[in-house]
Amino acid sequence: MKKDLQNLELLSAYLDDELSQSEKAEVEKLLATSLELQKKLEDLKKVKQLGNRVKRIPESPFFETRLMAAIEGQKNEPSRIKRWMPAAALAIVTIVIMVVLKFNPGILDKMWEDQKVAIAGFYKENLQPVLLAANLTNEDVFNFAFNNELPLDNTRQQYLLLGYDDSGKEFFEIRSSDQKVKRESYNEFISAMNLDAKQKETVDSIIGSYSKALESQVLVNEKNTIAINPNLWNLRKAIFADLLVASEKLNKVKFDRIVPSGITNAERVIVVNTLEKLKNTSGDQYIFVTPDSIFEESYQFDSKLYEKEMRELEKQIQVNEEKVEQFTLNMRFDSTYKYLTMAHNEHSFRIVVDSNICRVDLPVPEVPEIPIPGMTTINPLVEQATNNIHFYAYKIPKIEKTKTEIKIEYYNDDSVYSYVVNYNMLNMDSLAEANPGLDLYNLEKLKPVKPFDDTMLIKYQFDRDYYNRYYSDDEFKKQMEELQKELQQMSEELNKQRIRVKSEVTKSPKK
Amino acid sequence: MISKEEEKDLQQPQILSIDDDYSIIRQFVDGDKSAFQILVKRHKEKVRNIIYITMSNSALVDDIAQDVFITVYRNLKHFRFESQFTTWLYRITVNRCKDYLRKMNVRKIFFPIEEGFEVSEYSSPVENNDISRIVMDAISKLPVKLRMPLILKDIEGFSYQEISETLKCEMGTVKSRIFRGREKLKEILQPLEKELMN
Repeated sequence: MKKDLQNLELLSAYLDDELSQSEKAEVEKLLATSLELQKKLEDLKKVKQLGNRVKRIPESPFFETRLMAAIEGQKNEPSRIKRWMPAAALAIVTIVIMVVLKFNPGILDKMWEDQKVAIAGFYKENLQPVLLAANLTNEDVFNFAFNNELPLDNTRQQYLLLGYDDSGKEFFEIRSSDQKVKRESYNEFISAMNLDAKQKETVDSIIGSYSKALESQVLVNEKNTIAINPNLWNLRKAIFADLLVASEKLNKVKFDRIVPSGITNAERVIVVNTLEKLKNTSGDQYIFVTPDSIFEESYQFDSKLYEKEMRELEKQIQVNEEKVEQFTLNMRFDSTYKYLTMAHNEHSFRIVVDSNICRVDLPVPEVPEIPIPGMTTINPLVEQATNNIHFYAYKIPKIEKTKTEIKIEYYNDDSVYSYVVNYNMLNMDSLAEANPGLDLYNLEKLKPVKPFDDTMLIKYQFDRDYYNRYYSDDEFKKQMEELQKELQQMSEELNKQRIRVKSEVTKSPKK
Repeated sequence: MISKEEEKDLQQPQILSIDDDYSIIRQFVDGDKSAFQILVKRHKEKVRNIIYITMSNSALVDDIAQDVFITVYRNLKHFRFESQFTTWLYRITVNRCKDYLRKMNVRKIFFPIEEGFEVSEYSSPVENNDISRIVMDAISKLPVKLRMPLILKDIEGFSYQEISETLKCEMGTVKSRIFRGREKLKEILQPLEKELMN
């Protein structure tokens, strides 16, 4: 058996011409006498020849180029030891940090605080009141009180907008000027209240008295930092309420139109007290919006120092107005803030950014910073007055919706016009338009539709009783009879006319 | 009767033909880096083809070949001129192929893949009917021990001596493995014998 196998291996080697002369002769001797071996040799030959039928891989013309590039690339790589260096270093640093943290657990917080203080310090430099930076006019202050909008620079590039979301939580937005929501409105308010020049002066002085209180609430600097005192939300309401109380005295008739329920004594007391408190107190916590972060930090605003500086600047402005430097804020609304939004929780700011607006939702317990009793009681007053002033001063229609109708009121030339649109009033044109191919004489098929929020037409619910009352056969017959009578009369009239015309033609002089 | 000494002498011309490689390597060692490119140009196709048949997968060829030549580049200055350059080169090639095959087998254990996945580019019916493809598939089914000597002999036309040096094994072993490889291949291709063998 072993001998056979050896012979077969020799046969294979014989085929490859890999035998010595003696081995070759031996194999040839065996082959001459064995048909089986001859057959085996033939089989092996066929298998060997299969190798010739294997196609070679196509040449790769760019192989050398790629290889040389790879070699060059590897040459520039650091050596194996050097490549491990960063990983080793990182491991050592990690171990060191672990050890340090084990024995000084508070160190990270301290480092973070130090860092925060350093960053905050940088952005806090040279903060100045917005009143000075933006050179606020009475119009601006009124706009703020009434429309929640405050310019942040004297070129009016960017505005601060205060607001409340659906759940009543405060938010603010920094908007570019083209996103400004409301127009200048002080003069329109004066005209809506029908105030004369002297009365306007009174209102001016009231507004002016808030300049000082307002100036420390919003601070800005040339590093594009905006510091907002959360107390601003209260102050806005208070200024507005104060203006209302004053307006009541100035023109009771017009005021009653704006606040039909009037101001109660309790509300009046709250307004006065609140204003006193707000004018004289201010929280030290500010929300800082900087080009790369939003944070809350305490900040002592030295109002006396600024007052002095501001007065000096005012003098300069009066002396040489054109030399006043333009102060432009340019907050970038970019992805920097988007990263901040990622990590929000209920104690951090929620930030929404698009190309023109940066909106910041305040954390839950933020406003008011100073506890002001009764502030919430004046909310309905402020709300009612705001809506009515919009109505009277800006002619923005009031729209009231009920289950069955929409009432639209608008004000023009001292008169109030109102329209009531009843959903349940059948409107054949609308039905035909909304249901093309509808057989208006066979409305049986028309099923009541579920109200959607979209259009009035869709809200329409078919009132069959109403339809039957007006379009029953009897009613239709009666109407047709009336129509017939009218047509008859018209026909008679026309005949009379024709006779008259004819007679006139007849009587006309001959040419 | 030719003695072993005489046999060796007969092989001498082969070495003379390799001498070109020696002079190129000397140029490289002397600092002429462009000599390496000449070396690559001379041998790349044979190296690529060995890889192609061994792996039965053209997608891996250039990656493995690149590995082989990078290894050569790094170690060429240590070449001792004791054996043929090609013996050394093909040994590196065969070992790289073995490494890859081992890695692929390990991968198969952890990520079972459908048979034919690695040769998916050849899976079209037209290609499958191709004799070359059929033979390559059959070769790929051979154990690596039998596969390597058979490829080097029947496809690349190496001598037993060269195979023995490349695979670092005895001449007798080479002889035996080539025979067994052929037998095994015949067995694998038995169902297609009529089409292939005639």
